[in-house]
Amino acid sequence: MSGEEEENAAELKIGEEFLKAKCLMNCEVSLILEHKYEQLQQVSEDPMNQVSQVFEKSLQYVKRFSRYKNPDAVRQVREILSRHQLTEFELCVLGNLCPETAEEAVAMVPSLKVKGQIAIVMSCGLLRYDLVLLTFFFPSSLAL
Amino acid sequence: MFCLSELEDTVRVPPDLLKLPLEVAIKKVLQKLFLDKVLSIGLCVSIYDIKSAEGGFVLPGDGAPTYKVVFIIVVFRPFVGEVIAARFKESDSNGLRLTLGFFEDIYVPAPLIPRPNRCEPDPCNRNQMRWVWIFEEQEYIIDDSYQINFRVENISYPPVPTERAEDGAIDDDGLGPVSWWEGCSERNNEDDDT
Repeated sequence: MSGEEEENAAELKIGEEFLKAKCLMNCEVSLILEHKYEQLQQVSEDPMNQVSQVFEKSLQYVKRFSRYKNPDAVRQVREILSRHQLTEFELCVLGNLCPETAEEAVAMVPSLKVKGQIAIVMSCGLLRYDLVLLTFFFPSSLAL
Repeated sequence: MFCLSELEDTVRVPPDLLKLPLEVAIKKVLQKLFLDKVLSIGLCVSIYDIKSAEGGFVLPGDGAPTYKVVFIIVVFRPFVGEVIAARFKESDSNGLRLTLGFFEDIYVPAPLIPRPNRCEPDPCNRNQMRWVWIFEEQEYIIDDSYQINFRVENISYPPVPTERAEDGAIDDDGLGPVSWWEGCSERNNEDDDT
């Protein structure tokens, strides 16, 4: 990433390559790391010994801070959020923090502001509606 | 946040790993090289996938084949301005320290704690100071009862590339312990582990 322009995610100045790179929501990382851990369990009797501290603690973190656990729900969240013309970065912050109002969403992702007031209200309203729908259809995926 | 990042590297597979399937052997070498290390793109958490491995030439005087490998890793990489969920770790008169578990060097300096506030000795822990936010005559203690959302203000890289520290702010809308914000009560973290 070039050091010329100061990085600031609030204004979406985070380097071209990161805007295009695959950003992951915590719930997606949870599925990835759990799958890796299960693979290890199949080949080793003591998988805990095989994984690094960082892996173990990262898995704990994403499991705790994931709103959605069910793989289908996780896929749906990304699909629904992708309908709203967000960058990968904005999509993941929203998917991670799950704001419930437009005001919360803008506080968490200030770059939404520049997309126009109507667009924010629309997208956040839809977001909430879609996420509420999602919760309705996948109740077992709610983090407790 | 977590990201997938594609890298290319030249990987030497030591002879003792050659009895394993090639992909497994290369993964083991990559894990040793990259896992838990802080690269310019972030903290490497896991090898996600190997896209390709070419070569396998043995250089003169070496018993091990070398491959040109294209692979994808999962990294954790904070961005300035990003809002991240964390847990409280400790506090003193300089400010707060927050943790993600796998990363513990998140500091919220006193000026970035919501005002008005006060700092007082922690009645439960003689060695610590605790911070209390005063809002509309209500007092809110900053402790480990709830998840704390913070915004990344600054990322500093120490001269020796082993650790990285972040400065955070919790003095803005939507930041701080989630219990402070209306409608957030269902997101309380009441688990007993760290």
